[in-house]
Amino acid sequence: MRRPAKTCPVCESGARVLDYKDDRTLGRFLTERGKILPSRLSGMCARHQRQLATAIKRARQLALIPYIKGHTA
Amino acid sequence: MTRRYETVYIFDSALDEPAITEKLTRFHALLTKDGKGTITNVSHWGKRTMTFKIKKKDTGYYVVAQFDATGDVLPEYERAVKLDEGVIRYMTVQAAREQPKPVEVAAVIAAPEEEEIVEEEEA
Repeated sequence: MRRPAKTCPVCESGARVLDYKDDRTLGRFLTERGKILPSRLSGMCARHQRQLATAIKRARQLALIPYIKGHTA
Repeated sequence: MTRRYETVYIFDSALDEPAITEKLTRFHALLTKDGKGTITNVSHWGKRTMTFKIKKKDTGYYVVAQFDATGDVLPEYERAVKLDEGVIRYMTVQAAREQPKPVEVAAVIAAPEEEEIVEEEEA
């Protein structure tokens, strides 16, 4: 039995590009520890998953989202 | 060739606004000299808590600037920004061709950390 294909949440929202400055949206695609959610779980299409990875990495550099959630130095 | 770039600056939040504006004008003068570039948009996000400490600081003053410029003015500009003590961090990237709009995404099911799922083997 095949599961029905998940639809990409970004395509569905009508957006074409993901913004690295939009930390609230990016935050939805992180695991509870701050890792990038795999497309298997996020349901993203390949194009948006690639954009997501780049956007998250940029946002991390700017301290908009953490590298590790719940980590205090 | 002129390209559209975007720089995010994180200034020391101890600096006051006129000081930041003065620095920005100085940086942007490097981009616009000889008519090689134009600043299209500068937006101040203001003071904001960073998700982790950078240079022992918890908060930063965020500014995003969009500009069109030829690539050859960037090294000098970036050098000036890098050397400035008031800038905690900066990042210049090629701006997205379309203006990204805020994505309204329904909550994605919170996924458990993979490493934490331990398969229990039956003896």
